[in-house]
Amino acid sequence: MENLTFGGIELGTELPKFVRQVDQRSINGNAVALLDYNPIHINPAWAREVNLLGQGTTIAHGMTTFSYMTSALTQWCYPSGGFITRLESKFVQPVRPGDTITCGGVVSELHPRQKGQGFVVVELSAENQRGETVGVCKAHVRLPE
Amino acid sequence: MADEVAVQEFLTTDKQKAFDYDFFKMAPAYVDWDTVDYEKVHEGERVYEVEAEDLVDYAQSMQDDLPLFSDPEAAEQGPFGGLIAHPIFLTPIGFWITGEKGPLSWVRTPGAINPGQVIEYYEPIRPGDTIRARTRFHDKWIKRGKRYLTFNTEYFNQNETLVAKWWITLILPRSKGQQAHQF
Repeated sequence: MENLTFGGIELGTELPKFVRQVDQRSINGNAVALLDYNPIHINPAWAREVNLLGQGTTIAHGMTTFSYMTSALTQWCYPSGGFITRLESKFVQPVRPGDTITCGGVVSELHPRQKGQGFVVVELSAENQRGETVGVCKAHVRLPE
Repeated sequence: MADEVAVQEFLTTDKQKAFDYDFFKMAPAYVDWDTVDYEKVHEGERVYEVEAEDLVDYAQSMQDDLPLFSDPEAAEQGPFGGLIAHPIFLTPIGFWITGEKGPLSWVRTPGAINPGQVIEYYEPIRPGDTIRARTRFHDKWIKRGKRYLTFNTEYFNQNETLVAKWWITLILPRSKGQQAHQF
């Protein structure tokens, strides 16, 4: 794997894609992992009755979309000793059972600092199989010299 | 059955088995948008003692195969010198510390929607850490008829080192339970 350094990163660098499929089974497993048992995620009958965001389905956790976007980042830079210092996410469309989520990112800013403190800004996004953006995230990542 | 709430088969770790996954049960005790306390600083109801199985299970459930998060032996050879938590592992820490009726119990509100989150990280979280949290009100507002609530939570490890800070935001229903989001 490539050894990333702050000095070796260029604006516009693209991260490898992180692609995962979502179904009710994965949502149930994610609920356990997150300890987030909101019925809108795990209770199909309740979700149908409440019909919170249209279509009457459960929706995946926003934190799962967040986790996927973050994984695109950690898979890229953590093996080199990179460290995320800030994440700012927005979830703009619900993710539903049956969706395939593709996460990617691009380096949009370089912030030189004293040794070992330089960081980059990465603009991340998550799209479903229809090409609709379901989540975005702006991340600060400290990289080794 | 398609309508079945089927989480039991995924319960793996001791904390998962001990956690009450019925978010309706204590709903009347949850803090709500109208009555939130603006001033008080709240300590978490309990601490989170981080075990390797917690980190490994999280990574596997979230389909992240990076050895740093799930393979203790491989992680020892990596840049962090051992296993560390995936950044979003802060979520189960948060739910665990909140408990069932504490000041952050509104995060359990049935029908609450996640519009986006802001988190800052200062130190990696590792097995053996004991994490506690301190929470205070940050903001609440109405936008396009929806009620947003943000609390700020600081997470400290056993050395009193600040490891993360999270501005937790949710859109809360006007009323609880079955009447969720009847704006």
